[in-house]
Amino acid sequence: MQLIVTAISKDYGPVAAVRQVSFQINSGNIFALLGPNGAGKSSIIRMLVGMTRPDSGSILVSHQDQHYDHVPRRLLGYLPEDRGLYPDKSIEKNLLYLAQLHGLSKQQALKEMAHWLDVFELTDRRLEDLKQLSKGNQQKVQLIAAVLHQPALVILDEPFSGLDPINQEKVVTFLKALKARGMTVILSAHQMAMVEKLADHMLLMAQGKAILSGTLADIQQQAGPQRQIHISCAGPVTAEQLQQWLPELDIELLTANRFVLRLSAGQSVSATLKRLVNELELTQVEMQSADLHQLYLTAMAEHQRREQA
Amino acid sequence: MISRQSMIVAKWEFLRFFKWKQQLISYLLMMAVMAAVALWSYFTDESRKVYRIAVPAQFSISNTEQFQFQRPTIALDEQLAQLKDSESWHGVVTVSPATAAEPGVVLHTLAAKKWQQQLETELNNYFRQQYATELQLTPAQLTRLQQPLALEYVYLDEDFKGKDTPEKMIALGVLILLFIGLSTAFGQVLLSITGEKQQRVTEQLYAIVTPQQWMDGKVLGHSLSAMKAMVTSALVMLLVFIVVSVVVRDNGVNLSWVNWGVLAWLVPFALLGVLLSACFMGAIAASIDDPNTSGKGAVMMITWLPMLFTYLVIDSPTGTAMTILSWLPLTSFAAMPVKMAMVELPWWQPALSLLLLVAALWWMRRLAGRIFLRGMQMYGKEPGWGQIVGWALSNKSE
Repeated sequence: MQLIVTAISKDYGPVAAVRQVSFQINSGNIFALLGPNGAGKSSIIRMLVGMTRPDSGSILVSHQDQHYDHVPRRLLGYLPEDRGLYPDKSIEKNLLYLAQLHGLSKQQALKEMAHWLDVFELTDRRLEDLKQLSKGNQQKVQLIAAVLHQPALVILDEPFSGLDPINQEKVVTFLKALKARGMTVILSAHQMAMVEKLADHMLLMAQGKAILSGTLADIQQQAGPQRQIHISCAGPVTAEQLQQWLPELDIELLTANRFVLRLSAGQSVSATLKRLVNELELTQVEMQSADLHQLYLTAMAEHQRREQA
Repeated sequence: MISRQSMIVAKWEFLRFFKWKQQLISYLLMMAVMAAVALWSYFTDESRKVYRIAVPAQFSISNTEQFQFQRPTIALDEQLAQLKDSESWHGVVTVSPATAAEPGVVLHTLAAKKWQQQLETELNNYFRQQYATELQLTPAQLTRLQQPLALEYVYLDEDFKGKDTPEKMIALGVLILLFIGLSTAFGQVLLSITGEKQQRVTEQLYAIVTPQQWMDGKVLGHSLSAMKAMVTSALVMLLVFIVVSVVVRDNGVNLSWVNWGVLAWLVPFALLGVLLSACFMGAIAASIDDPNTSGKGAVMMITWLPMLFTYLVIDSPTGTAMTILSWLPLTSFAAMPVKMAMVELPWWQPALSLLLLVAALWWMRRLAGRIFLRGMQMYGKEPGWGQIVGWALSNKSE
């Protein structure tokens, strides 16, 4: 399965939800759509699912030497942003119904269901009504519903939302299992730590536009050589003092004697440290690359600055 | 025509509302209520009691099963005192003297009771007899005087089967059954479609089935529920008929009056009518975002109008109104079977009406599918009537 999206745009009345966005996803990859609320992620997903059509641009899907201008339903597994199944029906009945709609026989559906219920530790609760489950467990059932029929492409809108950290890790494992089965996955998320662990490619969006795209390394490069210095000092220090000594830097005070300095392009590590040594007794200095979370925040701030300018 | 997915949706929808245990319990409760009403009316039936009525000595009124007329010799005041204290009598009848300013009969009782109406009838008959005697009328003359005019109707239109015929009862039964069926479908379609939208299942389903497949499944499932309700109600009606024939009237079950030819036509008309109405309800329900705030739900009741209009013209089955209703595809499912039950029609008329109904059903199902799709694409915004009409007139599907 290969998906090539070229310059798609979508307007809802006066609102430009998506503006000239392009990306490509190769078979068996995990692709993450990132961005704040209202960035256009769900609009892109709805176009991929076929609920809406792009006003301009194209979507090209290639699967087993066949080409389509949309994602065929039989190849698609979907977890919508607005979740919901039948609360007064059991897990088993819900999943069996959706699997049969996907074309699975009852035997196939029960076999696949047994596997995924086991993965999510829900086997013993399969006969319980959905409304009896916690929100997190309902989310797991919904995830199972999206993949029971082994689709070539799985689209998951916010798969981590509403889950506690332990269950978020389980979803990471689940997504890796999908990848191992050869499924292509598109997900949208806010949980950068999770995305960093999973995604082969990502697209960072803001106000309907693509800001950054590529692998994590590509994005780090596009965002500029941003570095972080984690510093510990002997005595206490305040944020005001640090701001006074280093007014041009992004500073985050972690504890009374520990803080982080974020340097962007053109800012020298040695010059910064020299200025600090005059004021403080440094006990530990550690250099780190910016993580996805930081890159995301920086890119968003940069985008806002540009838009305002 | 109907895809496998639609059949799966139809089965799911049918079984979703088919709770046989609750249904059985509701039937048992209904029977218990009917039994309680019957028992209550039996034990409170005043006509089975015997009432003692004091009348003046000159009254020659005869006793009946219900009333014993006694002629006490004591004074009226004492009679009334006894009526009040010991209930020696249930009533005391007095007659004003002929010389009184306003002559009349007076009934003294403790309070108003239902048996007093029967007593009034008895007293009326007695006084009529008295007046007849005074006028020197023979009993035969009096009977003739009391008989209403026997007006016989002769219909020259040979196709008209008659006014109060068994066929008319069938026609009325059909209208009642259609009303029951459409009421069932009304509740279920509204609950199922708006519920699914509110529970956010629709977006998930959209990724699996087309809006048309989804709507076809819904319409079929709920139409089956409606037909089930109609068949169950028909069986209950039949059961009541058998009980009344065998137990109450002590007759055998006689179904010779049933016109099986007309009944055979009823089935396709009823089925297509329910499907057409369910499509219309589905289209309206699909345009509702939140049933608590939308006023569109009431529009679904339009589907009851064909039965109402037909009922209003049921006594003029050959009239213009009935003719229009029996041809118009939106009303023919109710009107044509009624007309057929009451008037002999050539076979091509119901056949053509049925064909028009099929065409209307096809158009309505496509419209319902379109409205569901467009409504879903509006994400939480309810379409206006102008938009719905626009979608109805456009031919675009997905």
